[in-house]
Amino acid sequence: MINVALIGNPNSGKTTLYNELTGSNQSVGNWPGVTVEKKTGTLRSKRIKTNIIDLPGIYSLSTISLEEEIAANYVINKKMDLIVNIVDASNLERNLFLTFQLLESDIPIIIALNAMDIVEKKKESINYNHLSKLLGVPVVPISASKKIGINRLIKTIETYDYSKKREPIKYDDDIEKIINDFDKYIKNRFVSIRFFEDGLKALDKITLAKEDLKDLLFSFYKANESFEIDFDMVLPNARYEKIIGYVNEIHKKSEIQGISDSDKIDRVLTHKIFGLPIFGAIMFLVFFLAFGPIGIFITDAFVGLINDFFNLIINGINSLGVAPYVSSLIANGVFGGLAAVVGFLPQLAILFLVLALLEDSGYMARAAFIMDRLLRRFGLSGKSFIPMLIGFGCSVPAMASTRTLDNDEDRKITTMIIPFVSCGAKAPIYGVFAGALFGPRSFIVVFSMYILGIIVAILSAVLFKKTLFKRAQANYIMELPEYRRPTLKNTMRHTWERSKDFLVKAGTVLLAAFIIIWFFSYFGFVNGQFRLLSNDEIGYSILGAIGKFILPLFKPIGFTDWQATVAILTGFIAKESVVGTLGILYGVNGNVIQNGTLLYSSIQANFTTAQAYSFMVFALLSIPCIAAVTAMKNELKSWKLFSFTLLYEIFVAYLVSFIVYRIVQVPLEDILTYLFTFTAIIFVFFMIRKIIKNKGKTCGGNCSKCGEEKRRIITQNIKYKEKNNVDKGDSNGE
Amino acid sequence: MTLREVLPGQFCIVRQVFANNLRKRLIDMGLITGTKIYVKKTAPLGDPMEIIVRGYSLTLRKSEASTIIVDRIDG
Repeated sequence: MINVALIGNPNSGKTTLYNELTGSNQSVGNWPGVTVEKKTGTLRSKRIKTNIIDLPGIYSLSTISLEEEIAANYVINKKMDLIVNIVDASNLERNLFLTFQLLESDIPIIIALNAMDIVEKKKESINYNHLSKLLGVPVVPISASKKIGINRLIKTIETYDYSKKREPIKYDDDIEKIINDFDKYIKNRFVSIRFFEDGLKALDKITLAKEDLKDLLFSFYKANESFEIDFDMVLPNARYEKIIGYVNEIHKKSEIQGISDSDKIDRVLTHKIFGLPIFGAIMFLVFFLAFGPIGIFITDAFVGLINDFFNLIINGINSLGVAPYVSSLIANGVFGGLAAVVGFLPQLAILFLVLALLEDSGYMARAAFIMDRLLRRFGLSGKSFIPMLIGFGCSVPAMASTRTLDNDEDRKITTMIIPFVSCGAKAPIYGVFAGALFGPRSFIVVFSMYILGIIVAILSAVLFKKTLFKRAQANYIMELPEYRRPTLKNTMRHTWERSKDFLVKAGTVLLAAFIIIWFFSYFGFVNGQFRLLSNDEIGYSILGAIGKFILPLFKPIGFTDWQATVAILTGFIAKESVVGTLGILYGVNGNVIQNGTLLYSSIQANFTTAQAYSFMVFALLSIPCIAAVTAMKNELKSWKLFSFTLLYEIFVAYLVSFIVYRIVQVPLEDILTYLFTFTAIIFVFFMIRKIIKNKGKTCGGNCSKCGEEKRRIITQNIKYKEKNNVDKGDSNGE
Repeated sequence: MTLREVLPGQFCIVRQVFANNLRKRLIDMGLITGTKIYVKKTAPLGDPMEIIVRGYSLTLRKSEASTIIVDRIDG
């Protein structure tokens, strides 16, 4: 078995190529804890068995983020037999920098020269045969998105000659002298070069004799003095100079240098004035498509179909005359859970589709560029916007996508606040409660939940930044890729993979959750006898007992019956099940997830508007579902921080629900009175503080500012007097 | 002067890169003493800024840009 790793710059088309190389043989990865950092698949080849490993994109082997470290360490520790280095032909100079670093190792390399179609479109050409000769490795021109050259690349992998050794790239004599000096002690050209660039960090993996290390450091400091530019720039500079020489030999640029399409699009989309409104409009469109009429229509149609199908099966099973608990399990447990899973799928699929379009086209990077200034105020980087936006769909992929952030602290803060961003699974809760109690105002109520989530997320980010991550400084440095027309195939694949991940997750966790809930809610002690309960006996269930037991804790935030506490409890297993559980607990006949209106009368009977609002707030802010909690643990990588986040979420949910419950209960006039009193108190407080502050200082007029003011007034007075005197004098004279 | 002070539409040449923890990244991405930079634009909110270096488009914050010392040049 041969292991082939795909290494290349971010956005050079690695994943597209990965999909083309592996075909349908790819593994289901890309799920936290499984393989977010690397994906593995089998090469589409009949001749040899080959693993293809897709690694995160890197600009160089010196890394600044966790994600990059995974890829760089793969190379540094030589964990593969062969590297397929993807080079973006439309950006040769910078892409070849990494290629040169890779060539300095002794790992076999094939270069896949990607985006050749773009080069041709610009009426340019690249002499890849000559490049192959210059570098001493096979170069295969491809276009991953247009599927050109893939078979040739596969063939090159199949027939690669591992016995052939390549000549290392030689730099100018003064540089070679230093490398050789270091190599006398390190005895590995690759590590010596890494030491030249990165210093002691490069020596982590090797052990040197104490004397050798001393001599090595001495020659390092001696070499340091012999260059005009900074020592850590010397080798990168030499590399770029060599690369420019090569590029001039192979790259024939077109004579006409027009404005690129990408520039034209960017003139509008990142325009000084229109950039922001367009951004807002696009974000609104994303939201509208998934949660607006279109999304609802598709969902309804889809769920109706599924539900008819389920009913058919349930009726079929019942007609067989099975035991009552089996029929109950299937109807209430299994199909209740399944309906929740698939019922939510269409909306998520739309959301994933739109996000995939934004990502594939290159607009996501612009979104980060546009939003950076705003998010930085809250201690986040522009890149944090993307995970937070994905958080509106589902927290789990959102948390996984925080790995695109360069800075560890940014990543952690973003992960910690994502649960507050209202995920798609919470939407049905708002839908049912707002629909039942707020009538025509329900849209505003639902919208307010999203806004509340964002506000809590932002305030939490500021709080975390000021307390937990005091020393952190968010970094921002990002390449703006050229706009690309998203291909149907890639977008669909993106959408399908994420939707499938949701199905897999929901199909296991959620189904299990529903069966457990069914057991807890349909079994219990009646008159000392443990048995299956009928719908009207649900008050005796185990879940009911737990709900009743913890109910007093929830009284201050307006929960008056145990059904609400139990529904909240099941929300920890999956947010999708909150509405389903309420349906089960209120004994509603029919599928409440398909048809929320079935729950309306039960909710109207059991909740006031204030209670409903408090319930929604608690569901929004408290601990997310178990899948998101698992993802959070994966990303935070610290039990301490993880437990803190969970406790923090319970605390915030309780606090905000409490405040909201109290505020919503008081009539409008009272709110205005309170607001007025509150403002008055704050005003008085600041006045007093100002007076106290000023009291201590007795002004002798000695300080320069005061003195200046005095002098200005005095001179003004003198001038005034003089003028008046002159005037008087004049008038006297007349 | 610093890169921050270069206006959109102007060219400059890198003299020195400080930028603390991003220094190595900037160097590897090609911002080395002597490299030519074109300042393309600033984001709608005034920050970050977009520069063209070695034929590709890079965005960085003004706070980072003010740690990169440059000389202004024409064209």
